[in-house]
Amino acid sequence: MIAESIAKSSQKVIPYITAGLPDLETTGQIVDAIARAGAPAIEIGIPFSDPTADGPVLQEASHLALKAGFTMDALFSRLSEWCSSSHIPIIVMTYINPLLRKGMRKTLRRFKDCGISGIIIPDLPRDASGVYNLCSSRGLALIRLLAPTTKRERAKEILGQCSGFVYAVSVAGVTGPRDDLPDGLESQVRFIKGLANIPVCVGFGVSRKSQVDRILKIADGVIVGSYLVKGIMHSHDPVNAVTSAYQDLVE
Amino acid sequence: MRGYFGEFGGQYVAETLLPALEELEDAFYRASKDKRFKDEFDSLMKDYVGRPTPMTHAKRLSEHFGLDVWLKREDLCHTGAHKINNAIGQILLARFMGKKRIIAETGAGQHGVATATACALFGLECIIYMGSEDIKRQHTNVERMRLLGSEVVPVEAGSATLKDAVSEAIRDWISNIDTTYYLLGSAVGPHPYPTMVKYFQSVIGGEARSQILERKNCLPDAVIACVGGGSNAIGIFSAFIDDPVELIGVEAYGKGDGMHAASISFGVPGVLHGAYSFLIQNTDGQILGTHSIAPGLDYPGVGPEHSWLSTTGRASYSLVDDSQALEAYALLNRLEGINPALESAHAIAYLGTYAMKNKGKTVIVNLSGRGDKDLDIVLEAGI
Repeated sequence: MIAESIAKSSQKVIPYITAGLPDLETTGQIVDAIARAGAPAIEIGIPFSDPTADGPVLQEASHLALKAGFTMDALFSRLSEWCSSSHIPIIVMTYINPLLRKGMRKTLRRFKDCGISGIIIPDLPRDASGVYNLCSSRGLALIRLLAPTTKRERAKEILGQCSGFVYAVSVAGVTGPRDDLPDGLESQVRFIKGLANIPVCVGFGVSRKSQVDRILKIADGVIVGSYLVKGIMHSHDPVNAVTSAYQDLVE
Repeated sequence: MRGYFGEFGGQYVAETLLPALEELEDAFYRASKDKRFKDEFDSLMKDYVGRPTPMTHAKRLSEHFGLDVWLKREDLCHTGAHKINNAIGQILLARFMGKKRIIAETGAGQHGVATATACALFGLECIIYMGSEDIKRQHTNVERMRLLGSEVVPVEAGSATLKDAVSEAIRDWISNIDTTYYLLGSAVGPHPYPTMVKYFQSVIGGEARSQILERKNCLPDAVIACVGGGSNAIGIFSAFIDDPVELIGVEAYGKGDGMHAASISFGVPGVLHGAYSFLIQNTDGQILGTHSIAPGLDYPGVGPEHSWLSTTGRASYSLVDDSQALEAYALLNRLEGINPALESAHAIAYLGTYAMKNKGKTVIVNLSGRGDKDLDIVLEAGI
């Protein structure tokens, strides 16, 4: 479902937004606005107290959302509505600890029941087959990350337990805008495309139209997070701010 | 399974880090079998750190509690705490791997000072992440690190304490993976860190076991150590695991209910900083703020092997609060002329509880560090 949506959509930029920033009501409005702007899918980040894979922008976003009272129960009370009104696949990004604390099986089932299409977990255990099997049996895509440091054997192992699309991390680093993406990006994406039979989407560091264009020459999609979330944090009208930031990237 | 203690431990990390952990594990196993590596470690332990550290028979303290108390004197290590054992071990490993840039986190500053010292000794670049709250609490250690030529980077995120310093060090490592060695200071983090830190700290237990056998001609009834991440505790426990010796870890109960750092006593298992272990967290899996008067214990997690020793029942974990630790700090000064770190004072304080049911028993307390760094905190508390 995620792969089809990316394939048939004219826009190839998948936005990431932090749930509950500045509040869940606004997150819902952003989801709707971005879906109307033509996004092929939306990635919704669950705030976490200790996001070790995130740079300053998404750290602050998590911190603010938690301070504003984000809870998993409040999120679950909204997710179904977002999924049905947006008409595009919604993907959840969460560090593993909230899943473990709420119960992995139960929480994955709740996501599925709400209409969530896939899940991204940046700190899966080395052997993630248990989580992959739970996702598969519930019809949830488990989107895995491949880093620039990932070697061939590991890449094959990951791709054997990856669905929806594969998330190619552009830089060896944390999330957040970069002025320059690595020179080796094209060869990294070609390497992954040679192994994968699902779409390859590139994320981390992307904040400019020129970077989006460069990536879309070789990849099936691109994920933009910090750049959009910054727009949400620094505006009095976050829905318009994030929508126009999104449109600047795709037009 | 490799890297697990029962269900605890593992490698829950960003994919970028995984090859670096494999490289580290491989280098560690090769180094630990390499005679020259071991010889160099042993000779630095002897001639630079000052090992073996003494085992002091604490006669007045024994009389006070009605026990036979022996103190393993890690406070007499060069730089004033057991942290130097691991810092020297890992710095040799970093050299073995050809890494020139060293990063570390620190809470109380003892691991930061130890790492800065080891880097000075080998002329390596050194960056220490330290929570801004801890920088205030332990400023003498900050000055020491700077004198040693290290850069101390304040971490403002979250609670601005040890947990946030570890997170920031992990982010640095992800971003500088080719050049950088992450010298983690406690028996926490993803595999192979808990195993590796134990390996270098097991020198404490090895010495303590032979010393007590030689001096007293028998094993102790119990070994007591404070537990934050748990490196001094696992270091001394490791030699007594197969003996009929009670192993007791002492966690920081801080100011009590909701204001403590006792992960095993009150936490729920989860994943923080790359390993599955007991954690202080809310029902949504968000990590909660902790409190202890001892900055080195002020951490919401604990080494995975301690979680395993606790669930299997091989070790037990007890509580000492801030005021008990402060009293013990003063007591050890007065009765033995020894100034313990506030962290180690937790282990001393537990002797009071232990003595209630165990009069006359022989115990070793791991005196993990000295307390000069804590004078400001202690004076402020009115002791």
